[in-house]
Parts: sequence; structure tokens; C-alpha cells
Amino acid sequence: MNPESPVQPPARHGLMRDLRRLLVYSGKRLLALFLTVLVGVYLTIVVANMGGEVDELRMVQIRSEAAEMVRANPDFQDMPSEERNRLIQRQVELEVERLRLDEPFMLRSIDYLRQAISLDLGRAEQMHSDRGSREVYDIIVERLPATLLLFGTANLLVFFVSVFMALSLSRHYGSLLDRCVIALAPSSAAPGWFYGIFLILLFAFVFPLLPASGMVAAPPPEGTWAYTLSVLRHMLLPLAAMFVSQLFVSIYSWRTFFLIHSSEDYVEMARAKGLPVGLIERRYILRPTLAPIITSFLLMLVGLWSGAIILEQVFNWPGLGSLLFQAIGHRDTPVIIGSVVIFAYLLALTVFLLDILYALLDPRIRIEGGER
Amino acid sequence: MHKSLLVAVTLLFVVALIAVLVPEPTAPPRQAAAPGGTSTDSSTERTDKSVERDIADRRGALVDQIVFTEEPDSGQVVGLIEAGTHHAFAQGITNTTVYQRLRDSPQAAYNVSYGANAELTLNPAGPTFSNGELNPFHVPEIREALNRLIDRDYIAEEIYGGLAVPRFLPLSTAFPDYARLAGVARKLELRYTHDPEAAREVIHREMQALGARFENGRWHYEGKPVRVIVLIRTDDERHRVGDYVANLMEEVGFTVERRYRTADEASRIWIGGDPKAGRWHIYTGGWIIAVIQRDEADNFSYFYTPRGRAEPLWQAYDPVPEFDELAERLQQRDYQSWEQRQSMMARALELAMQNSVRIWLVDQLNVSARSRNVEVATDLAGGLSGSFLWPYTIRFKDRVGGEIVFGSPGLLTEPWNPVAGSNWLFDQMIVRSLQDMALIPDPYTGLYRPQRVEAAEVTVQEDVPVTRTLDWLSVETAAEIQVPEDAWIDWDAQAGRFVTVGEKHPAGITSRTCVRIHFEQGYLERRWHDGSQLSLADVVLPWILTFARADENSQLYDVAHLPTFEAFQRHFRGWQIVSTEPLVVDIYTNQIYPDAETIVASWAVDPLPWHVLGLGILAERSGELAFSSNKADRLRADWMSLVAGPSIPVLERHLRRASERGFVLFPKVMEKLMREGEAAERYRALTDWHRQRGHFWVGDGPFYLHSVHPVSGSVVLRRNEDFPDPADKWLRYTRPEVPELDLDGPMVVEKGEAAEFSLNITFEGEPYDREAIEKVRFLLFDGNGELARQGNAKALGEGQWKISLAPRAIEALGVGANSLELAVTSQRVALPSFASHVFATVPENGRRPAP
Repeated sequence: MNPESPVQPPARHGLMRDLRRLLVYSGKRLLALFLTVLVGVYLTIVVANMGGEVDELRMVQIRSEAAEMVRANPDFQDMPSEERNRLIQRQVELEVERLRLDEPFMLRSIDYLRQAISLDLGRAEQMHSDRGSREVYDIIVERLPATLLLFGTANLLVFFVSVFMALSLSRHYGSLLDRCVIALAPSSAAPGWFYGIFLILLFAFVFPLLPASGMVAAPPPEGTWAYTLSVLRHMLLPLAAMFVSQLFVSIYSWRTFFLIHSSEDYVEMARAKGLPVGLIERRYILRPTLAPIITSFLLMLVGLWSGAIILEQVFNWPGLGSLLFQAIGHRDTPVIIGSVVIFAYLLALTVFLLDILYALLDPRIRIEGGER
Repeated sequence: MHKSLLVAVTLLFVVALIAVLVPEPTAPPRQAAAPGGTSTDSSTERTDKSVERDIADRRGALVDQIVFTEEPDSGQVVGLIEAGTHHAFAQGITNTTVYQRLRDSPQAAYNVSYGANAELTLNPAGPTFSNGELNPFHVPEIREALNRLIDRDYIAEEIYGGLAVPRFLPLSTAFPDYARLAGVARKLELRYTHDPEAAREVIHREMQALGARFENGRWHYEGKPVRVIVLIRTDDERHRVGDYVANLMEEVGFTVERRYRTADEASRIWIGGDPKAGRWHIYTGGWIIAVIQRDEADNFSYFYTPRGRAEPLWQAYDPVPEFDELAERLQQRDYQSWEQRQSMMARALELAMQNSVRIWLVDQLNVSARSRNVEVATDLAGGLSGSFLWPYTIRFKDRVGGEIVFGSPGLLTEPWNPVAGSNWLFDQMIVRSLQDMALIPDPYTGLYRPQRVEAAEVTVQEDVPVTRTLDWLSVETAAEIQVPEDAWIDWDAQAGRFVTVGEKHPAGITSRTCVRIHFEQGYLERRWHDGSQLSLADVVLPWILTFARADENSQLYDVAHLPTFEAFQRHFRGWQIVSTEPLVVDIYTNQIYPDAETIVASWAVDPLPWHVLGLGILAERSGELAFSSNKADRLRADWMSLVAGPSIPVLERHLRRASERGFVLFPKVMEKLMREGEAAERYRALTDWHRQRGHFWVGDGPFYLHSVHPVSGSVVLRRNEDFPDPADKWLRYTRPEVPELDLDGPMVVEKGEAAEFSLNITFEGEPYDREAIEKVRFLLFDGNGELARQGNAKALGEGQWKISLAPRAIEALGVGANSLELAVTSQRVALPSFASHVFATVPENGRRPAP
């Protein structure tokens, strides 16, 4: 470096510039993500209410329920029909007022959106948490542990087993195991619940070794160990179903990914230099591919939020998937929106986090204006 | 390194797997379902005798523990019973595949109920819709003809796979009105029996009268094909019923459009839309009834007249004036005697068939699955989940005690509280086992029988037609029933006291009925599940709540309670406690039911534990919780649950405060009704109860709520060892005693001869109790299908009955094939039994061989 060259801008100035760029970038990115969340949540509101069409369905349902309720009560039987119809109408009005069906859907949809975006999840319209709370937050939080436990275990298991198996297979390309995995990869075309049905049939009914459904024995065992063991027993079949359905295609895709990276020039060079296999894997294959691995891992973690509707139904697992299923069945808009908005925020946050992580993991990635 | 790690992980996994696969140590041993249960070897006999001895020695429930667990998939029912993990299921099975598996399983058994039906709802608007298209079903004759076009046996046997029975009339074939009118019903059923040719003739005649032309096998009106839109529900077997009906319509010559819709999608069209718009002609409808309806007289008004409902479809109904008037009078119970009602019902049935805006198809059977070695009383309408007697009767056939595991499609669907809590069928089923009732409906007749009541006296005004069937009550008539001045008629929320009749109506009032209920000796000496003793305060509290929740001046005011209260107030004329030991109560009302037993049951209010309800009332007054869903939403508070969730800490706090202060609800009234030191005793007991169980549900039923596990979906009940009744009190109700008939008689009768037919009435091979047989009615139809004679059979004894036809009666039949139809009704089951015998009448000496 020439000591007589013009004075370099101070490091502080450069830091400020970088910080400013980072802030501007973060602001723009967050704004874009926020708008995406906004649009996504509003679309959900519109779809969940069929653009307001659900109001009409609800009105018919409310009227029918009120009429049947009055008819089923013998106290009303000898009442003149006009009086009876007036009574039904009053019942209908009470319910319409409770559900705010007397307000235009557009107005309600904006209100739903405002509440959702501010994470004020509000009260469910029809549903309750299993413990009896009407707060959407309670309803969701109550089901979260079951989903995290089952899907967290399954997905982590699938992720790590498949990454390490794939790495190993990429070293033994063309081996018997490799060919078996390739042959079995199409088995993942069938979803987890499909395997679940067979596993239930086999291990709960033909050889009754494991429980067919539920999360824990009824009544739940009292000791912590006994309870844990019971949960493990109940988890085994759904876990196996998910594992079987996802494993082979996951190994296959990671294996292909690693194979491509294993044939890069710098890896060949490392091999030619006689570096140990473990070192080549860690430093020359895994490290450059860390960004997609982490992306996949984080998106998998975020994906846990939604659970799996059909699998939870098949195994009667009290998770978020079955909650969403019930909410759709009840047309309980606040619960549907609650589930979606949290997922949307988590996804947006993950995407933002990944943007930052990419820059940390890969020195080639820079914010605009950086040296090329 | 890697390999050793892999081996270690594998070993760990194997150990974990073994640990997981070993049966759970805390799970109680499950009773394997015994195959068959019909073995008659000596060891079984010995077991039976020892079981009988154990039952005789026992009080309360016949099992020690019941576990309810969530099992929404009815497809797994048989597998779970066979695996021995479940013993009974709350949900009814209507799927034919599951039913067939259940029927064929050696370890499973089932009970049948009749709560649902299927029908065709016809659109009567017209004769043309607003789009100009012709609506053939505007014409009553065409609608009526559909009754003969449709083969109900095919629907019941082929489409429903035997899980249905044909139904022609607007009366359930399993309920008392059908049995009472069995003769009329049979006559109408024969009149409308499947006869497609006759139906086609009528349709052709009426379509031509409408101006339609039959060209190339298709009906045309004003140059266009006559279109029939069949709105087909896709949720259940009605999908196939819709297709079958659509095919029939095509065969008759209509151009059919099939619109397949789910319940919600269809409801917007058939019930929410204007029938004149012509968006549908036929809808595959269905109705569910969860309890036995002993009086179905309002069905005519509901299903056939604009008074039924306010929706546009009902407003399109236009019954003939005679039918309209009859329907209204039957609905309002405007008749002077039972005989008059029956003749009005008979005529209304005929007119309903002529009107036919609905074509009744089948009564659907609902199957309640259980293990073969389990016995339980199920309700004829509501099945197992609708049974009031299930907690009193459920047991293992081969032993006393043990644990029963119930599968239920839903548990704790809504918060539980005894004032306005969850009304879901499967929640209510559990709640019924936790609370004892004053009167319990017979699961097979719907007639109320006494549980905590010794006797009742019903006094009715002379013009009120009320009948009594059972002997635990009496019915008297009076010219006028004056309500005493000191009877309570209202509640003053501000003053916190009852208002007497004298204060509210100084001129005095009368009522149409007075019910005096004598509760059993020691009624108030019983104990709540928490060990505290019942008192009069528990008996009075439900009455106060009824008034206080409808009073705007009360902090308990609930707008959602108003409709129920207004209906109550229309009938209520006062009540008073006549004596406390034994407890005798008088209730004055204007409410009339044809059965005196139902009148008593509707006013026999069961007690509520005031110390528990008091906490709820305190929580509602403070705005933290609310008894009803509607009020909870208005207050933005939690709907009160006494068993779990955010309500529990709130109630716990109020319990602490109430206990410290010795709080008594409505003290001006309640303190006079409580024993010395009762408040302290109650709060002490409730505190202990809550500490042990973690909830506040205190009842007095044969089971108590041991534990609740909302998220994992299970509820545990345990036997109340202090329950006062012998364990076998209701055991005889575990099987419906449907009469089994064997009719025999001559195949050929000559003119001038008498004929005698014998009938054997049995139940499970034994002669049917003569006293229990209500009526054995016969109908004699001649060769033209015309009713020639009707009457009652004569009892000979030991299940033997005789029908004698005099020579004159045979002569009147003429020559030809005749049919003798029998309808037998029993006091023990609402379901009537039918038998028929076909015989030929020939001329004198017609039996002799030709020379």
C-alpha cells in the first residue's frame, strides 16, 4: 500500500455507510415481507369466508338451529306459530349480533385483518380450547406442544438422518445401498397418513402392540416416566409413518445435491491433495452448501407450525393440523386467521433471518453497492 | 469413531423401542372381550350365580371405573373392540360396511336405535316457476303417486344394507303414536304399497291435465322437455337414494338434472332459497330425533303447513283447509278426549299422505357398538349416547366391577356447567352419569319412571285430556284449580326474595294442572359427591336461578335465557313446599302433555349444589366468567367450566373468599333453608374435593368425576360408593322386550265356515307377559285390498292369543286371497310388532277335489 496515496476514508465512515445500507436494505426487505404477509392474510380471510358467501350459509344454519332448538323443546310445542316464529327470529338476531353478521363482510374483513396483523388473535366464534377457553391464543397454544413434539421429532429425525445418509451415499455412489435408496425414492409419493393407515392396521389390530391413535393412554399415567413412556408408545406409529414417507426422497435429493458439489473442481483438488475424507466433507462439501442446508432446516422448522391435517386426523393426534381441520369445519374465521397469521409472520421472519445468514455464511453475498 | 457412535445410537434406539412396546405399567388390566357369551357349560352357570349374588350385594353402579376416550373414527370401532382396548362406543354407526363387520364379529355386539329418518322433500311451488318451467310436484296427486312409485323395501335393504326400515307416514315407526295407531298405519301402508304401474297412470293423467305432452318417452310442456332437478345430498346414503329417485323420474319420462350437494351447499338452495325460483324439485332430506317422542301430533303442522317454519319453502305449503285445521288443533292439543285425538290423528295421517309434500322413505337404524360381554340399556331413539339409564345398567356380564373404556367422537366439546353449559350429546351423556334424576325416562317407551320420587298426584281441569299409564302416580280432575296465595310465583332480584301469588295477583289465579310430587324418604339425607349433605337450599336454588337470569335488575341477567324463560312463564302458575320430611312439593302450571308422567317429569326440578353454583354466581357477578356462551361473548369473559381451563383458578379464588367470609347466596331465602353450620361444612368439603380432583364438578349420581384430561382427550369416572340404590334397580331395561309373533291359521276357508287363527307372542322363547301386552289388533283385508274387518284378538293365556272369524265375516270377504294383518303393542316397548297371514276363501265345498 502506498503511504502517500490520498487519505483513506476513516473506518468509522465505512461502518456507518455499511450500517446505513444494512438498515435501508432491512427496511425495504421487512416492508416487502410485511406487505406479503398482509396480502396473504387478507387472501386467507377472503377465502375462508368465500368472499362473504359464508355469511349466507351461516344465516341458514343459524335459522335452522334456532328452529330445531325451539321444536325440540316441548315447552314451546303448544305455542301459536306466530309467537314461535317470533321467538325463533329473536334467537337468530342474538346470534347474528354475536357473530356481527349484520355488518357488511368488507367491513368485518378489514377488522379481521387489523386484528390479525397486530397479533390480537381475539375470540373464536364457535370453538373452544380443550380446556374451555374461547381465546384464539389459548386454543392455538394448547395444541402447539403436541404438534412440536410429533412433527419436530419426525422432521429432525428425517432431516439429520437423510443429510448424513446422503453424505455417506454420495461417497459410495452406485453402491447397493445407493441403488436401494434410488429405487425406494418414489415410495415418498404416498403421504404419511397413507402409511399410517397400514401401520395402524398392522401394529394396532393384526399384531396389537401399539395404540391405534391418541397422544397418551386413557387415563394418562400419573408418574412422569410412565407418562413419557406412554407418549412415546403413542408417537411411534405416526412417527414411523412420517419417517417412512419422507426419508427416501429426502436422502435422494440431498444425495444428488452433495454429488453435484462433490464433483466441483475445488473438491477434486482437495482429493488430489490427499486430504482426509472427513475434512473434505466438512470443509469442501458441507461448508459451501451450508446456505441451502440451513434454508431447508429453517423452513422445515417453520413448517412445523401447520402440522399435518390428515395425519393428525388419522392418528387422532391433538395438534395444530387437526385444530385447523376443526376450524375450517366450523368456519371459525378467527381461529383460521390466527393459525395463518402466526405462520405467515414466522415464515417472513425466517426469510429475513435467512437473508442475514446467507451474508454471514457466504462471503460472496453482499448488499448492493458492495465491491464486486 | 462413527461406527461406535452408530452402534451406541442403535442400541439406545432398541432399548427405547423395547421400553415403549412393553405394556404400560399404569394402564389398568383390560378385560378381553369374551367371545360369544352364549356358552351354557356348568362353570358359566356357576359364574352366573356368583355374579347374581355379587349384584344383589352391591349398591350403585355395577362397574368401578369408566374411562371415556376420544375416538372420532367409527371405522376403527370393531377393531378396537376386538383388540380389547375399548368396550363400548358412544357414537351410533350408520355405515353399512362397519355394521356388517360388527355383525360378523364374535367379540362384538350391538343395540339398535331409531332416531333418524330419510325423506324426499318436494317443492310444491307452481304450477310454473318464475322461470316459466312447469313444476309437476305442485299437483298433490302427482306427489301422492310418488309414494307408490318408490320401493321403500329396496331403499331399506339395498341402499341402507338392512340398516333401515320402510316408513310411509309422518310418524316414526318406533315411537308410541305409531304403535297406538298401528291399525290405521297398516291400512295406509297397504294402500300406498309399491305399485309403479298405478303411480305411472296417475302421473300420466295429471301431467296431461296440466297441459304437458308425452312424446318419445319424454314429457314436454310448451315445446320444452319437463325438467326435474333432484338435489342430492352427498354426505351419506342419501347420495344413492337421490340417484335411485332420479332414475325413477327418468323412467317416468322427466328430464332429470342431478345436483349433488353437501349439507351446507344444499341448505342455501332448498331451505334458504325461494322455491318459486325453480332451483330444485326434489331434495333428499333427513331428520334426527334424539329422544323418544311420545306425542308426535305436531308433526303435521311442522312438516305440512306454513306454520311449521318461517322459511320460504314452508310458506309455499298450501294444505287443504280440513288438514290445516286438524294439524293446528293437534299441535295445540285442542281435543276433549284421547279417543277424539286418536280419530283426529287417523284422519290427519290420511290427509298427510294425500298432501305428500314429503315422501317418507325409511327410519334409519343406528347401531351402538359394544363388547359382547358388556350389557347396557340403550335408548330406542337416542342410542347409547341418548340413554338416561346407561350409568345405572352398564356392566360386564361375567363379573361385577372392573373398568369400562368408552370411545366417544367428542369430549369436552364445550365448557361444562350445570346452568347453561355444554349441550353436546356426548358431553351430556357423561354428565347424566354424574347427576341423579328425580324421574328417568324408560329407554323403550319414553314414559318416565320414578328414581328419587315416591309418588305423584296430578290434578287436571275437567276438560284437559291427560292419560296415566304407570301406577306410581294418580290423575284426578277438578272443575277449577285455585293456586294458593302463599305459593311462590316470581323472584324479586333487588329484594332477594320470592314473590307470592297473593302479592302478584291479589285477585287470585287458577291453573290447568297441579302436580304434587312426593320425594322419597330421606331425599335430603343423601350426600353430594364431595361428602356434604343435601339441603332444601339445593332444591330451591334452581328456581331462583330461573327467575334471576331473566330479570334485568339482576346481575345474573342473561338475554339468551329469555326465550326459555318466556316459555316457562307462559305455563308456570306457582309452586310451594308442602312438607320437608318427606319432601313434598306442589307445582301449579298450565302446561299439558297427553301423558301425566311427562307432566310430572317436566316440573320435577333436580337439586343443584348451592355451594358450587354460588362460586359461579360470584364469578359471573364480577364479570370474570359467565354461565352461558352468549353472555360470555357479550362480557368478553370465559364461558364457565367447572371441570377445566381458565375458569378453575377464578372459581378457586372465589372459593377461598367465600370460605373465609362464610358467604351464602341469596341469604334472605337460603339461610332459612340451610342447616346449622352448613355453609362451613360445604366449603370445607368443596375445598378438599377441589384439592383432590382439581375440578369443581360435584354431583349426586352413580358415578363421580374423578379426573379430566382435556388435551389428551379423556375423562375418568369412578363409582359413587355411597349411592343409595341397589345395583340391579334398572337392570331389566338392558334389553328391549319387543314382542315376537308367530301367527298360524288355515290356508283355505270355505264360505259358510268359521276360521280361527292362533297367535303366539313370545320374547326370547318365553311367553310374553300378558299384563304387558297393550293391544293385539287385527285387520282383515279382502282380495281387493279393502279393509273388511278389524278388531282385537282374545287372550288365552301363556302368550297364546286367538282371532276368531265368524262364518258371516268369511262370507263378506267373497272368494279370493285375503290377508289377516296383526299389530301387537306392548307397554314395555314403543316399537309395535306386525305379523300377517294370507288365506284363500273358496265357495262352499270348494276344497273338495274335482270328480
